[in-house]
Amino acid sequence: MGADVSRRRALAATGLLLLGSLLASGLLEARVQDPAQTSLKPAADAPPGQDKPAAARPAKERMAVSVILAWVWLSIAVLLVFLRMRVREADRVHRMGLQRAGEGPPRGPRH
Amino acid sequence: MKALRAWIEDRLGLGPVAAFLAKKEVPCHKHTVLYYTGSSILLFLGIQIVTGVLLALYYQPTLAEANASVVRIMTEMPLGWLVRSVHSWSATFMIALVFVHLLGIAFTKAYRKPREATWLTGVLLLGSSLAFGFTGYLLPWDELSLAATKVGTNMPKALPVIGTWLTRVMRAGDDVTGDTLTRFFIVHVSVLPLALLAILGVHVFLVQRHGMSVPLEAERDKIKLPWLPFWPNFLLREAGVWLVLLGVLLTVAVFLAPGIGPQADLMAPAPEGIKPEWYFLFMFQTLKLFPARILGLNGEMIAVMIMMAGMAAVLLLPFIDNRPLERKGKVITGLAWAGLAYAVGMSIWGLM
Repeated sequence: MGADVSRRRALAATGLLLLGSLLASGLLEARVQDPAQTSLKPAADAPPGQDKPAAARPAKERMAVSVILAWVWLSIAVLLVFLRMRVREADRVHRMGLQRAGEGPPRGPRH
Repeated sequence: MKALRAWIEDRLGLGPVAAFLAKKEVPCHKHTVLYYTGSSILLFLGIQIVTGVLLALYYQPTLAEANASVVRIMTEMPLGWLVRSVHSWSATFMIALVFVHLLGIAFTKAYRKPREATWLTGVLLLGSSLAFGFTGYLLPWDELSLAATKVGTNMPKALPVIGTWLTRVMRAGDDVTGDTLTRFFIVHVSVLPLALLAILGVHVFLVQRHGMSVPLEAERDKIKLPWLPFWPNFLLREAGVWLVLLGVLLTVAVFLAPGIGPQADLMAPAPEGIKPEWYFLFMFQTLKLFPARILGLNGEMIAVMIMMAGMAAVLLLPFIDNRPLERKGKVITGLAWAGLAYAVGMSIWGLM
């Protein structure tokens, strides 16, 4: 029962994250004007001693990278949920094994 | 799938390795978190190799082209700026984790018998990682990297007998020039990776050979600690840590991408505010503080000799601290804390 509830919660959280990220990426895309073709090369006449900016790249690419980053984090969140489920299952099997082998009380590994 | 597995098994014979992993146990205690640092270092090393190969496809290690090729990577290659940023940040993350890993082992005294050789290879791996950082810093060939390399390669000069020779070997001449750049590139992309992979192989073998260490008190009192199977329980947890680290790395690389300074000019005077990478700051600051002459002797030479003695002490720590539970062991722990506080304090001072 408890496992069902937590699974439902995980699914709901994943769905919300998905929707949120879709909404955010859509809004961000909508804000991108067709790039006024920012120069690909950093200003050649930058004052001496000053770093050339690493981010001198078109707005579209910047936006794409931000959207990809949001998706990366979303994927990580989903994968972490799945990993957590697998870890719990593996720990349960391990505890059962210990119990059967009489190695002591079934204690949950803390880490 | 079964047939493929059998085909691989027939050719590679990985059965014993799989059996070993299935039996491998990971002890659970208050320092278990330190176990995650080792595999995370490997993750960042893998990222370094992949991004390094991508950068090497476009980088040109010549006086005329080095700086321009890095600018091209950052501005003209698709996502080149991101690849360079990930390479740079994962180096920082890797070195930071190597420090954490080594300090964790030092303060839990996990280097004690029979793990002395594991410690030795670990310290050598730290040395290789720092050498990667030092040689990589020059490659963008901008004003700052040239000046910092001049300072760095000048340090061994203070050593008696071999100092001048060592500096000449590092610089491929008397001064930092285009030849130094080529030499640093070769060392960075071929000599160091080979050395690092060889030492790493021995290190990983020794870790598997002796198993994971447990806290000193548990070993002394012969306490049977709870444990986890490495496969799949611990590995799944490690996978979670890797995912989070990957996300953090990508985020930092996107928002804090390193820039590049103007092309180095061999004739120009050193620019203001030369600073090495953060992991060399404490040495840099120490050198700045030492007077030119102490009791009629060369101050820089004394500073370099003290640092060399410190490094030798770190390398030989398991042999110096051979009775970790006794008073001697506690004194050494105190000294190690003092050394760490000094390095952190000097680094912060160097940053300011």
